[in-house]
Amino acid sequence: MNAVARLREDFARGKRRPLRILGASGQLGYGIPSPALRAGLDRAPDMIGCDMGSIDIGPAYLGSGTMAPTHIGARRDLRKVLHAALDAGIPLVIGSAGSAGAAPHMEATLEMLREIAAADGLAFRMASIGADIPRDTVTAAMRAGRVHPLDGMPDLTEEDVENADQLVGQMGLDAFRRALETDPDVLIAGRACDTGIFATLPVMLGFPRGLATHMAKIVECASLCCIPGGRDTILATLDDESFTLESMAPQRAATPASVAGHSLYEQSSPYEIIEPDGCVDLRAARYEPLDARRTRVSGAEWIPAAKTTIKLEGARFLGHRALLLAASADPRFIARSVDIFDEVAEIVAGLVCEDSAPDYDLRFRVYGVDGVIKWPEPPAALPREVFVLGQCIAPTPERAQEVIRTTKQYLLHHGYDGRLSTAGNLAFPLTPPEVSAGAAYRFNVYHLMETDDTAGLFPVRIEEIREP
Amino acid sequence: MRLTELATVIRSKNAGPRVLTLDLIFPDAASFAKVEAAAARLRTEVARAYGRPAEEVSVITYPPANAVKIALRRDIMAGDPDDSDVYGAQQHAPLLEITL
Repeated sequence: MNAVARLREDFARGKRRPLRILGASGQLGYGIPSPALRAGLDRAPDMIGCDMGSIDIGPAYLGSGTMAPTHIGARRDLRKVLHAALDAGIPLVIGSAGSAGAAPHMEATLEMLREIAAADGLAFRMASIGADIPRDTVTAAMRAGRVHPLDGMPDLTEEDVENADQLVGQMGLDAFRRALETDPDVLIAGRACDTGIFATLPVMLGFPRGLATHMAKIVECASLCCIPGGRDTILATLDDESFTLESMAPQRAATPASVAGHSLYEQSSPYEIIEPDGCVDLRAARYEPLDARRTRVSGAEWIPAAKTTIKLEGARFLGHRALLLAASADPRFIARSVDIFDEVAEIVAGLVCEDSAPDYDLRFRVYGVDGVIKWPEPPAALPREVFVLGQCIAPTPERAQEVIRTTKQYLLHHGYDGRLSTAGNLAFPLTPPEVSAGAAYRFNVYHLMETDDTAGLFPVRIEEIREP
Repeated sequence: MRLTELATVIRSKNAGPRVLTLDLIFPDAASFAKVEAAAARLRTEVARAYGRPAEEVSVITYPPANAVKIALRRDIMAGDPDDSDVYGAQQHAPLLEITL
């Protein structure tokens, strides 16, 4: 009998006790500090969880099916937590596999685990949950008026659904639950609510949903809720009234203010955690110090929703990107740069579109003036130097390079009004100054879909990994 | 009073690819109370600093952390070709100029 089965049986027989949960990493693949992980394992935890992905990293990973960290980094971290969980005889739960949790990310993650198992002679039962949403399911829901835009997105169209290179849904607790009910040693979920990773096991064992979800929302970021915040493993101990947080790195303290403050992080409201089938109300949450390094949290309340909705995320291919990296220290160029870019873009279009259509997008950003923020007012004084980033997105890498290299030449020599520096307008920090930057994507689906069939949307697969 | 003289944290980040969230965290209840009392003024100042109508600015006070959370709709989706800050982590700078 494995750990999940044993816990389920004990709790079913009334042998209830507090549950100890380790949040080992908020971003698997970027390194897991070993001392804090080892300290956490010494506390006899019941489960190890890791979040591996997010939408925050942008559309390129979802669209292209690639991971944000290197494969070396991802494999190293997976190996570390896999050994930790198997040695301790406790389940390992990983969510949003491979950075974005679509089929290619899942397959790469599962393949790494199989390779690690084969190399290290490990045997375990692995459950996985897919998060790819079939296009016809979305289209049918759309026609039935069951797809709604999020945060000011336009209404979804059939073209958007068709154009998305990857289309995933964020699974919630019930998908994790179906997988955990198969008593896996390792559970790898595709795109998922980060709360599902940590809250499902306690909720299955009868702990209150509000508390478990509040705990999950904090430990999914490892020790980020501490002072000073960091990526070290955190331990949460959950009972029926509260949970206690303690960083496994001695220099990090979970204080009432630092833990309460974490509810602000990357959320539009600190008072609620929205889940597919309800919401956690944190208005009555209490944060009390147990000592200088531990905080006890209580009061979160679960409010079920009338209907289940899942978040859909899709990214579509835009083209191939080439960049120009350049700079200027000429006050006249800096003052006139917006006009200069327009003039040069027109000259370039005249040259590169003689035999082909205007099939590219060319834009410039001036760092030092407004490269980072769309300020409502121009600066009081212009800077002494600026960095200029030119960006072209075109149907092929060659076309993007053709446009950006032509742009470089004509921007360098453009004879704008009032020019003194007639030998060249730009300083190039590198040679060549043009860089191919791979494929460009954009999020084209960010919508809510009502559903009555989460089991159909998020199928569970079981794989027995045997010793070679 | 300048926000930079009162707050110990002034930060920005995405809350999803369409929303920018700005956090002001104060060191104690007294400094938080001063800003809480001026929340309406803060809203109009944020609207001015970011060039938006005040109706588009949400301001939520959060006493458990002596904090104020501000949310703005992003004009440009995170990661779009026109976006200059995919994580939204450097959009706090206009707050540094605000005086209440």
